Amino acid sequence: MEVIVKANGLKKYYGKGETLVKALDGVDLEIERGKFTAIVGTSGSGKSTLLNMLGGLDVPTEGSVQIGGQELSRLNSEQATIFRRKQIGFIFQNYNLIPVLTVWENIIFPITLDRRRPDKKFIMEVVQFLGLDSRLDTLPNNLSGGQQQRVAIARALASKPSLVLADEPTGNLDSKTSDDVVGLLKVTGSQFRQTIVMITHNPDIAAQADRIIRIEDGKIAG
Amino acid sequence: MNFKPITMLNKRLFQKNKGRNLAAVTAIALTTLMFTTLFVLSQSMNKNLIEMTFRQTGYDAQISFKDITAEQAEKIAAHPDVAEVGQSMVVGIGRRDALAGRQLEIRFADESYAAHSFAAPSVGRMPQTEEEIALDNLILDRLGIPHELGQKVRLEWIADFTEEESRVSEFTLCGFWEGNESSYASMAWVDKRFAEKVAGEFTADEKTSSSSRIIGIYMAQITLYDDKNMETVMDHILEDTGLTGLEYSVNLAYDSDMNRMAAKENLPMYFGMLLVFAAGYLIIYNIFQISVTTDIQFYGKLKTLGMTKKQLKKLIYGQAGYLCLVGIPVGMILGYALGAVLVPVLLPERDASVSVSPIIFIGSSLFAAVTVLISCMRPARMAGKVSPVEALRYNDVQSDFHYGKKHLTKKRSKNAGLTALAWSNLGRNKKRTVTVICSLTLGLTLMSAFYAKNAAFDMEKYLSDLTLSDYQIDEATNEEYQRGYDPCGDTLNEALRTQVETMEGLEGTGYLYSHDTEVTLDEQTISNLQNFYHEERLAYWASYDPIGPEALLRSLEEKRAGCIAYGADGTVLEAYTATERLLDGSFDAVQFTTGKYALAIAPAGDEGQKPGTVSVGDQVVIEGYSYTVMAVLDDWNVVTEGAKENGPNDDFYLKFILPTEIFRKNWPENTPRKLFFNVEDGFIDRAGEMLETYQNKTGVTFTVTSRASMTRQYERETRSSAVMGNVISIVIALVGVLNFVNSMVTSIVSRKKEFAMMQSIGMTKKQLCGLLVREGMQYAWITLTVTYAVSALVVGIGVRAMVEGGFTTFHFTLLPLALCTPILLIFAFLIPYLCFRKIESNPLVERLRMEE
Repeated sequence: MEVIVKANGLKKYYGKGETLVKALDGVDLEIERGKFTAIVGTSGSGKSTLLNMLGGLDVPTEGSVQIGGQELSRLNSEQATIFRRKQIGFIFQNYNLIPVLTVWENIIFPITLDRRRPDKKFIMEVVQFLGLDSRLDTLPNNLSGGQQQRVAIARALASKPSLVLADEPTGNLDSKTSDDVVGLLKVTGSQFRQTIVMITHNPDIAAQADRIIRIEDGKIAG
Repeated sequence: MNFKPITMLNKRLFQKNKGRNLAAVTAIALTTLMFTTLFVLSQSMNKNLIEMTFRQTGYDAQISFKDITAEQAEKIAAHPDVAEVGQSMVVGIGRRDALAGRQLEIRFADESYAAHSFAAPSVGRMPQTEEEIALDNLILDRLGIPHELGQKVRLEWIADFTEEESRVSEFTLCGFWEGNESSYASMAWVDKRFAEKVAGEFTADEKTSSSSRIIGIYMAQITLYDDKNMETVMDHILEDTGLTGLEYSVNLAYDSDMNRMAAKENLPMYFGMLLVFAAGYLIIYNIFQISVTTDIQFYGKLKTLGMTKKQLKKLIYGQAGYLCLVGIPVGMILGYALGAVLVPVLLPERDASVSVSPIIFIGSSLFAAVTVLISCMRPARMAGKVSPVEALRYNDVQSDFHYGKKHLTKKRSKNAGLTALAWSNLGRNKKRTVTVICSLTLGLTLMSAFYAKNAAFDMEKYLSDLTLSDYQIDEATNEEYQRGYDPCGDTLNEALRTQVETMEGLEGTGYLYSHDTEVTLDEQTISNLQNFYHEERLAYWASYDPIGPEALLRSLEEKRAGCIAYGADGTVLEAYTATERLLDGSFDAVQFTTGKYALAIAPAGDEGQKPGTVSVGDQVVIEGYSYTVMAVLDDWNVVTEGAKENGPNDDFYLKFILPTEIFRKNWPENTPRKLFFNVEDGFIDRAGEMLETYQNKTGVTFTVTSRASMTRQYERETRSSAVMGNVISIVIALVGVLNFVNSMVTSIVSRKKEFAMMQSIGMTKKQLCGLLVREGMQYAWITLTVTYAVSALVVGIGVRAMVEGGFTTFHFTLLPLALCTPILLIFAFLIPYLCFRKIESNPLVERLRMEE
């Protein structure tokens, strides 16, 4: 068993004195490679903050995060960006697609930013799997929510990251589409041997995970 | 497929943001326009300055030899560093009286010499036989010969300055060209054999015996391959050909003084460019700052997807590049057009041509691009620094958002009105507000300053120094500095005088006579002169005229000086003896007419210093008659300007004024030198016409100086700076207004969702519209307050100090600003109103749901 994500004493505080907000207050966490983990919790419990820390989008007030043995705090912001685009795939609730680029361009965007050649065969495999092959030249605004989220998934997988972080990927989708998306994530995860960490509100979706982490008031509850 | 993410994004973003780009493209185009116009003007100015100098010096080759032999010229021509040698030989000069005063040099010249002297036949060719001649149209017109080849030309000429008898020769016209008015002389080209024949009449001894002999002088003009280090190259050539020491001169147009002069004339342009840069920076920076702020979430998104700081910066610069690609060419075309329109206005009498130098296009596009680049630096850094998490919550406010919010609530609790809300909204983006205020203030202040400076000019003051009366007529030889003034000239003859004196509307006349003679210096005068011309003054004098101080010292030693006695009456005497021209003593008109008194003229010295001439009360003896010095007057150019009787000489002169009566009694032969007269206002034009008719009818030419022509001349000379200043300040003000408009529009548009939210919780349409209009008005008020304050300071202190001392009367004025105030207020009202209407056209629910 190999640990891919390791967090130690992770804290994130905002403000000072009276207005001090403890978004994360001492989180220790280990996530195994290839597993599907769900993070659940109420709104404002600190789930998103945790996910941002794990992905190196935000810097913790205290504590450390290691991804595949790389200590994120050792990287400056520029190095963190490069590390992120190489190692981590992000999926956001609001998809974060670039409206002026086509579906195909959106999918290969992070890879080309890294000046790498996209593995076309692999990406086409993902695209076909996600049922997007007829939509590659379309602009995101012409797609349904579920289709947009599938593009975001394809984009997250395109660079073959070892870790996929998803922040409520089904938050904007109806329950049928949500089930489809989560199903897809699970399948692609095992198909392409990826570790998936997903935030969700939906207990049904969480129930499909290998492991559920509950966050309450910035701490892991169980 | 080779997908370049940043290039692709750039292209797509540029296409997407068409509306927003319009403001940026306009700003870049305006900035480029101003740079291009300034470049066109400065390049054209340089070009015309050099061309004018070429025409004045009469040739455009780099080096000229005024005295060389044909063999020496050939030797130089053979040198590898020499591109071209033109040769010429002087034969004689045309009789001036037959050519209405135009100097004509008769010479042999080869094709090269003629071409480089702007005197190559444009019709026909150079002479090839002894009977042929080539002339310019100026001479043909004066001789009354039609512009046709084969015409007979009968020329009266002398083979040298000293020849008394004139010769008459018949030629056939074999070529002609457009003459050059600004050159001192016209050329008549004859064949080499003709030249050699005439020169052969004079022996070698005769040719060199007198310094004024010009016959047979051989000249050459050298063109080199390069304009740099011409003297070094030429010295080298002379050394190589064994002709070291041969005298030559470098064309004035290539002189380093010329470059310095050009640089000085261009100084306002450089200052203008600096202002253009400032104005361009303020608006382009603001536009980019606004668009980066608006798009900050988008940049944050890109960063979460793995875009690095460097790549984000590249994206911003790429956007700027696209905007430049459109804005710069548009600005360059418009700027060149504007420049082309302005050049003839700025350089009216110089037969100006618009420069097409590549420097204009390279320079202006480079300057504009650099301005854009510098303007983008901070916005690009801001985009690069965006933190992916923060970007997700960004709200178009600066980091002092919390302060602003507190401020807002405090104010609202006291006064929950829309005005207070509008104020705090303005404070939400201080940087933007400050930039817009700076931008507008710059333009409007410049406009006010230029206006105040031009308005301060006092034409009366200017004219009162340069003119004495409405009209002034000079004897034709007044400015014959070489041959000397003729005291018995015939220009201001009885007929002309009668015509002037019987003119309708005449208010008064005044005559000036002059006579050159000598006076002895008494002890008092010598001591006055020694005191006045102290060492410092002598050194300064020697710095621009080394002969002057020597002449003075010689006079002091010999106790003898040259003397110009003037006879003056009427208008001249009245104007000259006004108190502001009196250096010492006082003028008594009645006593003066008795003939016992003289007025001395002296250069103005330091405050309280005794004038450098005879003392008041002294006796001065002029040609046997003794006069008491009544008063000392300062040396007024209008009266004393003119040549000496015997041409150039090195003597030191004292000047005195006697009453005309006495002057006429002493020197009855002398005719008037200058005639001054005033006419009633309604008759000014008619008087000018009368003088013109007189000249046309009689064929007599003389110089007429009128107040009206001086006014026109001044306006011509100063039009350049006035037009320049106004154009640049108006465009900069325009840029400021654009900045203001863009800023207001974007600040409203970017808050669409916020407004929808306010409306959803109960703000009425009327209240929202009121809020926006209040914001606009407050924006305008702050701007106007700052602009009025800064302009008042700049005009009241800066302009006042700048115009002091000249021919000016300073009036405090902010007229342009006052004129712009209502325009700005209208904008401040209209823009929020129109934006509100636009926003309202979308249903509320849709706006609420809007993502950005």
